This record gives sequence, structure tokens and C-alpha cells, in this order.
Amino acid sequence: MAAWVTREGKPIYTEALTTLAKLHIFPNSAIKLAVVPTFKTSFRQAITGGGTSGSFGVPSEKDDKQSDVDIEFLDVFALERWETILHYMVSSGSGQNPTKPSVRVLFLLQRSGLMTTVGQGPLQITSTGFQFLLHSPHEQLWELLLQYLHLTEERQMDLVDVLGFLFMLSTMELGREYSTERLSKTQTAMLEDLVDYGLIWRRKPSSKHFHPTRLATTLTSSSPPLPSSIGNRSGPQEGFIVLETNYRIYAYTDNPLQTAILNLFVALKYRFPNLVVGAITRDSVKKALLNGISADQIISYLMSHAHPQMRKNNPLLPVTVQDQIRLWELEKNRLKSQEGYLYTSFASQADYDFVLNYAKELGVVLWENPVKRCFFGSLDGHANIRGFIERRTGAS
Amino acid sequence: MRAIKGILFTCDPAVKQILLSMNEKSSFIIEDLDDHHLVIKADEEYRVRRELEVELEKNTYSMES
Repeated sequence: MAAWVTREGKPIYTEALTTLAKLHIFPNSAIKLAVVPTFKTSFRQAITGGGTSGSFGVPSEKDDKQSDVDIEFLDVFALERWETILHYMVSSGSGQNPTKPSVRVLFLLQRSGLMTTVGQGPLQITSTGFQFLLHSPHEQLWELLLQYLHLTEERQMDLVDVLGFLFMLSTMELGREYSTERLSKTQTAMLEDLVDYGLIWRRKPSSKHFHPTRLATTLTSSSPPLPSSIGNRSGPQEGFIVLETNYRIYAYTDNPLQTAILNLFVALKYRFPNLVVGAITRDSVKKALLNGISADQIISYLMSHAHPQMRKNNPLLPVTVQDQIRLWELEKNRLKSQEGYLYTSFASQADYDFVLNYAKELGVVLWENPVKRCFFGSLDGHANIRGFIERRTGAS
Repeated sequence: MRAIKGILFTCDPAVKQILLSMNEKSSFIIEDLDDHHLVIKADEEYRVRRELEVELEKNTYSMES
């Protein structure tokens, strides 16, 4: 096999082999190349139509009453479910009462550390939650699903089954109805959870059929997981934010979720049917920083949602605004504090050097000044240093 | 030799000057190390940080008000 490869092709060939070996598709061997048997049989089965395992899902027979379910309906459903979750998160701290997602979703949000309860109070969004909101829908979806995978063991579900089902969903066709008959017990239990996240739609909980939505079918692809927002008909879908050098921000949207997210770091001023106007101020950014959102996250959110009109600018966002947001972040960290002990009044230079060297070996020295003959050591090093000095004075 | 328990503050010279003037009202600094470092009493950290925040806030002006 190696003889077939030309000298120029050699690096590409070895690289391809290493990748395949990492994926456990090819065992790494210098003599002969052979596909791992398990992969071979499964792969053959996949290209010949899945066999009886139904790895791409089992489409159900068409009947008359399902004609009302079209792609648009599924998109609306998925979007509504997904935005309910996000909207609930974003407005949890503001005292509004948005529609609550189901108990299972709330549990997942809490377990993943995106939200937390303070005492007996209602769920509050955490700083990780705020960061989560600024991610792209694709990242958010996978983040939640990964948390879901973490939970599976606790709920005594089979991890392989769960993963298998997710990948099966991602290969399904949008707008098609699939049967639940071939699904394992675990997968049937998953159906309910996935309905909550808006990944699939079922006529009723006991129904024998289900429709995957766009959220599910784009899991492993790069196409956008959400259809253009329903509430966003007026603006172009890919971006809606115009940011000016005078810190003013115009957002062409009437989507309450997007408005609420902007409200995290923008001081909103006016609201029109298709436009929200606000300004990035020191106070608004400071509020965001206090919530645990970093300057970089704000900037990257603004970049990824910039209006097409803004794309003509180079750089995309006004440099003044970017720098100022970063400066505001730095301002918050002007003072750094570390607890510890100040060691001073050493009897002789030799004494000082001796103890300082020992402390340096421990790696606990935070500050030193040979002229004043003193140094500052961190708290965890104190016990050791004290012991060291006591041993020394005891010996001499 | 002596070991004194405290908190090491690392900051820019401007903040240090503010801290020094705050220290004249109620003393909390144990040792003034150099331009960027101070050691303060361990139990005063929270109060000092809060007062410093107020002090810094006086030097900023917002478009809003």
C-alpha cells in the first residue's frame, strides 16, 4: 500500500491514516491496512439501508390524518419551545414572570449550573448561564445535550442508546414522520425529554409516531439549527445589530428574547415595532461584568449578530467601542488581593536569604524586597515556613 | 524576625495614592511596600474595597445623568 503513494502525497497519506487510527476505524499497523471488523459490518449495513437495526430511524406509513403537519408547523414548534427556555433564563432575575418550561427542563438547567436557587426562592440565572445565552444556538443546544448525557447515568439510562438516538435524529429527514416501534426502552423515555427541548414533536404523549424538528435534524450539520425567528420578519435573519462609534446601538428586531439578551449589557432607550435603540454605557457594561459576562463575550456577540450593513466596515465593530468595553473590564480589576504573611525584621542578610530561598522552593513568595529585607508569602506556605524557622532556631 | 498576617494588595500607583489618603482617616495599612504593593489588615479588606469603589466612582461621569 505504501508503494502506491508518491513522495508528495506522503504527508497527506500519513495524516489521513493517523486520523483514521484515532477514530478507531483503522488499527495502527505498519504492515497491512484493514478496517476494524465492527466498523466494517456496521458501515456496510448503513450504506445498504440500515438492515433491521433502523439506525436512520424507521419512517412510519403515511395515513390521511397527518397532512396538517408541515415543516413550517414544526419550525414554529421548535422555536417556541427553545425560546421559552432561553427567555425563562434571561428574565429570571428581572422579576418578570415568563412562561415556565417543564419541570424536567428546569431540573436540567439547575443541574448544569446554568441556574440556581437562592434559599427557597425561585430559580436564578448564574454567571455561566449568562455566558450560555450569548453563545450561538448550535453551541447552546449541544451544551444542554451534553449535560443531558451526564444525567443519563444517574437516571440509569444506557449512554450508548442515548447517543445512538441523538445521532439517529440528526440523520432524519425534516417533515417526515417516524415510528417509535423499534426504539429501545431508554429511547422511548428520551422522547418525552426531547419534546420538552423542542427537538421532536408528537401528536400526543402516547402517540406511536414522532416528527423530528429542525433542531434535531441539524445536530451534526453546519446549517442553522433554528429557522429564521418568527418574530423577526422585518429584519434580515443573519444579523440585526448596528453599532455606532458613539456607543449607540440599533437592533432591528421585535423578538422579545433578543431584546432581553441585549438588555443584559445595553441601556435600552426606545422601542419601536421593529427596532430597539439603546446605548452601551459604562453602567450597562458594568452590570454585565458583575453578572459574570466578560468583555470578550459581549464583543463576540455583537460581532456575530452584526447587521449586513455593518459588514462593509473594517474592522467590523468600531475600535473605540471595543477598546472601551475592554477598558471597563480592566477597571474592575484594578485591585488584586492575596492573603498571607509578611515576613520582616530578619536578624541578618544570611538569615533572610536562607528563609527566602526555602519559601521560593515552595513557590509561595508573592513579593520580595532584598533592600528592606522582607518578603510576602501566601497563606498556604505559612505553616511550612514557620516550621522551617523553628527547626533552624532550635538547631543553632 | 517577625511574621505579620495580612492581605497583599497589588494595584496601580493611582489606586495606591487613594488608599494612602483613605488610610489617614482610618488606619488599615500595615506596611507600604512599594509603588504597586501594600499590606493591609486582614479583616479590613471588604470595607476598604467598598470605600475604594465609592472613591473611584466619583471620578467617572456618565452620559445618562
